[in-house]
Amino acid sequence: MKRKELILHLIGELSNYLLESNPKRLVISLHQEEDGLHLSVLDDNPHSDEEIENVDHALNSPKRPELAGYYGAMTGHDMLGASRLNLLGWQVKHCDVSRTRNGIKFDIWLGGDRFESDQFTIPKKDKE
Amino acid sequence: MGYSTEKETAIVGQNRTLLFLLIFIMFSFIVTGIAADGAGKAFTGFLDLQFSPARLISDFMSTSSIGASFINAAAVGAIGLILILISKVQLSGSTFAAIFTMMGFALFGKTPVNIIPIIIGVYISGRLVGRSFSEYIIIALFGTALGPLVSLITCELGLSGLSAIAVGTAAGIATGFLLPAIAVSMLHFHQGYNLYNLGLSCGFFALFAAALMRAGGHTFDTLMLWHTEESLILTLLVPVLSLFLILTGLLSGGRKSLKDLMAIQKHSGRLPSDFMDMESMEGALLNAGLIGLAGSLYILLIGGDLNGPTIGGLLTIMGFGAFGTHLRNSWPVVLGVIIATLIFGKSLTAPGTILAAIFCTTLAPLAGAFGILTGLTAGFIHLILVHQTGAWQGGMNLYNNGFAGGLTAAFIVSVIAWYRSRNSDFK
Repeated sequence: MKRKELILHLIGELSNYLLESNPKRLVISLHQEEDGLHLSVLDDNPHSDEEIENVDHALNSPKRPELAGYYGAMTGHDMLGASRLNLLGWQVKHCDVSRTRNGIKFDIWLGGDRFESDQFTIPKKDKE
Repeated sequence: MGYSTEKETAIVGQNRTLLFLLIFIMFSFIVTGIAADGAGKAFTGFLDLQFSPARLISDFMSTSSIGASFINAAAVGAIGLILILISKVQLSGSTFAAIFTMMGFALFGKTPVNIIPIIIGVYISGRLVGRSFSEYIIIALFGTALGPLVSLITCELGLSGLSAIAVGTAAGIATGFLLPAIAVSMLHFHQGYNLYNLGLSCGFFALFAAALMRAGGHTFDTLMLWHTEESLILTLLVPVLSLFLILTGLLSGGRKSLKDLMAIQKHSGRLPSDFMDMESMEGALLNAGLIGLAGSLYILLIGGDLNGPTIGGLLTIMGFGAFGTHLRNSWPVVLGVIIATLIFGKSLTAPGTILAAIFCTTLAPLAGAFGILTGLTAGFIHLILVHQTGAWQGGMNLYNNGFAGGLTAAFIVSVIAWYRSRNSDFK
């Protein structure tokens, strides 16, 4: 799957999930580098601890290339409206799910074998 | 946050348990095959099967012998397992389902000779688009449903000798090469509500292959090779295997396996529902065993034959007991098939009908997601359709029920999606 297509699927699936509870605000942030990308999606609805734990479990399931390579193609293409975050979990490098002041935030990292998520930060400006 | 070391340890343990389980089952098949016919007859028969017609319905127990069929099933299962191990893919619900399905269909269609070219083709396809074989392994393993296409070219088109093998092999490689493209597209068609989804993909491909052959003047003779002799081995195989899975689940998981079994019943089963991942290996094995017992009981109650296709069907649904099927989502679809059978005056024990009753569980996710009425409707439509679709593709697609199921699922999903789109929020 090409990078752009994968990004669209991820955005679609995450947005689908958050839009089910009809937030007033939904923010999507994408930062791409050559070796990987960071996708962040936030909303402003309250979410229970149990929900956050379930979502984290779905998004951080053990990597399954045999499922991602085939069934992962269904990500973001649901005709019946249901979101399935577990389809994402196999395809991403790492995911953090955290509570914000108003809602929930997903931080998702994707990348190749060379990609290290802890080094993936916005470069600091040189100070003169 | 992320999954823990404890989870990693559990996965390693699961891999080891499933590996021993599958090897033990394959070994048991070999021993059973030798016990049934004697080593000489069983292995000679196994070799004969490699160059025999394999289209639907070719019960290998009728074509050759019970022993040869079991040896063949063990060999095909071993090929699948070796590929999984080489690819370093986790043994879990999906691969458990794949191995059981391959072994089941090796009783009436798949052979090592007719599946290997397809697997090679899928591998080449993956290399071309930069995918590892592990990413396409599910397609490769289930795509062997088109093994009869290779056997058809090798054995039924009038070719002989090395040229028959070469052309058949080339056709198999070409088939496998095209399958990943088709398989991924077909998922969108039924949205994951057809468990035997490679059946839809293989059936779709086989439509074109059959049309090409008909255009070249070939006529597809109807094959109906159906073993009817009673045998204690055939009667006991699935119940014993089912009890073995149940015992393994209970001994490994104790009371938690029962709790996980109940949790499995709450899932819709929509693809991909890996019950070993979602709940536990132990719960999934219990579920698989119960499905095997339920299927065996059904065949016993209706007085159906236990032979290659029916036992193959039972093995398949047991495999999918770890990957989408459970008793709660299966019974409405099966009942829909039974109702349709009775309404249209067909026999419950006729080959097509009995296989439809077993394999209609491909549509179990529809009942799991949308309820009993949808399941009944799906089963009803499925029975009507499956009696037609086999002839469309010349019997070359072993997962004929998966093909009909995919069409049925797409039909029902389309109607549901359309109905849900009513009353737009923006006027």
